[in-house]
Amino acid sequence: MLLVHPVHEVLGQVPLLIGAVVLGTATGNAMWSVAVLVLMIVYGLARWFTTTYRIDAEQIQRREGVLQRSVLSVPRNRIRSVSTDARVLHRLLGLTVVKVSTGQEAKGDAGFALDAIRSDEVPALRALLIADSPPDALEAGVEASAPERVLARWQPSWLRYSPLSFTGLATIAAAFGVIYQTGAVAALEDSPLARQGLDAAERFGVVATVVVAVLFVLTLGVMLSVVRSLITFGNLVLSRRDEVLHLQHGLLRVREHTYDMRRLRGGTIRQPLLVRAFGGARLDAVMTGVDGAGEASLLLPPCPSATAESVLTELIGQQDAVTGALRHHGPAATRRRWTRALTFPALLVVGLGTTAVVATVPAWAWVLCGVVIAAGVFLAADRSRALGHRVGDGWLVARSGSLDRRRDCLEAAGIIGWTARQTLFQRRAGVATLIAATPAGVKGYRVLDVPADLAWSVAAAASPWVADCDWTRETAHS
Amino acid sequence: MVTLVDPANPPSRKAPLVWAIGAAIPWAMLAVAQVVWFVLDARLGWLHAVAAAATVVGVVTFVVVAPLWRYRVHRWEVGAQAVYTRSGWLVQERRIAPISRVQTVDTHRGPLARLFGLADVTVTTASSAGAVRIVALDSEVADRIAAQLTDIAAIGDRDAT
Repeated sequence: MLLVHPVHEVLGQVPLLIGAVVLGTATGNAMWSVAVLVLMIVYGLARWFTTTYRIDAEQIQRREGVLQRSVLSVPRNRIRSVSTDARVLHRLLGLTVVKVSTGQEAKGDAGFALDAIRSDEVPALRALLIADSPPDALEAGVEASAPERVLARWQPSWLRYSPLSFTGLATIAAAFGVIYQTGAVAALEDSPLARQGLDAAERFGVVATVVVAVLFVLTLGVMLSVVRSLITFGNLVLSRRDEVLHLQHGLLRVREHTYDMRRLRGGTIRQPLLVRAFGGARLDAVMTGVDGAGEASLLLPPCPSATAESVLTELIGQQDAVTGALRHHGPAATRRRWTRALTFPALLVVGLGTTAVVATVPAWAWVLCGVVIAAGVFLAADRSRALGHRVGDGWLVARSGSLDRRRDCLEAAGIIGWTARQTLFQRRAGVATLIAATPAGVKGYRVLDVPADLAWSVAAAASPWVADCDWTRETAHS
Repeated sequence: MVTLVDPANPPSRKAPLVWAIGAAIPWAMLAVAQVVWFVLDARLGWLHAVAAAATVVGVVTFVVVAPLWRYRVHRWEVGAQAVYTRSGWLVQERRIAPISRVQTVDTHRGPLARLFGLADVTVTTASSAGAVRIVALDSEVADRIAAQLTDIAAIGDRDAT
């Protein structure tokens, strides 16, 4: 820790450091650079000496601050999950950052993090924090608890799903954006290198150059995705001991999450189109106190869908909710999928047709139009096939989407509000979007385009307080 | 098969007026800006005509139609176990939340609402997707509801997640 803070302080302030070096060379006095560096190291050391944490029977408390003191306390019974994050430098020194997450997560706030705890102290600390028991129960508690059971372990074959994500392309785009921002591209434009490249392209033929460039970018994207997936999720282990769920992953930067199973309200099986095409799925937890989107809630990265389903079944103990047949939403909902997916292609055809009357339309435009129509038809068929819900046995299940298909399994006891929303078009089609509000996960889970007369039946079947409320009326037909 | 009948209570009778005034202010500013533009530069007559037509359509929609429509849709009721509202005009929502899971009850009065003695009541639960808003109530009605809800909910004896 004495080393970590100063080094991260220096690394985090690279712009300042560059400024100092520039100042040093500009004034011809290298002492300026040295002075700034020393100041930063001293500040890092001071942070270590001024940061303390303590855990008592009721709360966990962190005091910190060099010039201005701050005390952050978290009541221990509000702790929902504990995660650890060890970057490369931390690992080399045998240290770990411990993050404590509570129910309410303020946006933009870093939350409660204990930077650089010795790694061998972490398991005890984690057990202590998540167990919701006083410190003296620690020695007895950890050893005596049930054996850990592994639910899923990362397989090299899971890598086959990672080229199918867009992270590699996104990385390239981001890198290009950064390079463009620095003005390097503008400088390149007039350089001899760029002119040579253009000459070569002209000799080679424009089409061939574009094809080669696209292939190059795609290959690079696939490679980046695979490598990133390997580094992030390599040796992932998901295990469970009693009511504590434990997730560990990462080859270089090791991340561990510990979840309190009593806070689990369900799970989401997500199948992006390209992953689904190869029989894959990923699993997100629906849990109070854990952000529903993004990395915090991830339980399994893209893996065979059988694995994702068996793990979710294991966690929530409801086979029907995970794999059971869904009730479809009927012709009105299907019709809406088709009109929505084909509106843009129809406009395109009309636009091209009108243009064709007054001017010639190139052949490739018609080909493009055909591709757009085919994509629209596929999307509509796939989305209407996906649409469905299931309610019963205390669980609400909703499935929707094509490009990002998701099956949300939500424990009905965790639902604390219902919204039935109808746009003008939905009212005319006789369907409604039902939104189940819950403190867990993404907070609102949507059942898309349920037949309007069925909407409150779904809500009442899931939540007894809806069935019992003053406004409920039973209607005769089934 | 289960259906929910609509909640019973309409918002304040002054609600459409307040909504109309609220919508009229920005549209009036836009209209004034257009008049100034016309006085300064009267060329391109067709452009002025299009802009004026758009303004008229906007005013009719948002100052006349929307408030009346919303007044017909908006309903609220506080039952023994739940709060139930209906709101919106083009997009309409019915929202119900159990009183036992209520975390906070806020009343809110904007400047225009204060002028006309109106208030909004927001009932929040632990889910950010589940807050129930009852808008444009008479001030004393809003205070009564807030007090009633706070009483029933007995806020504070557990964390309601």
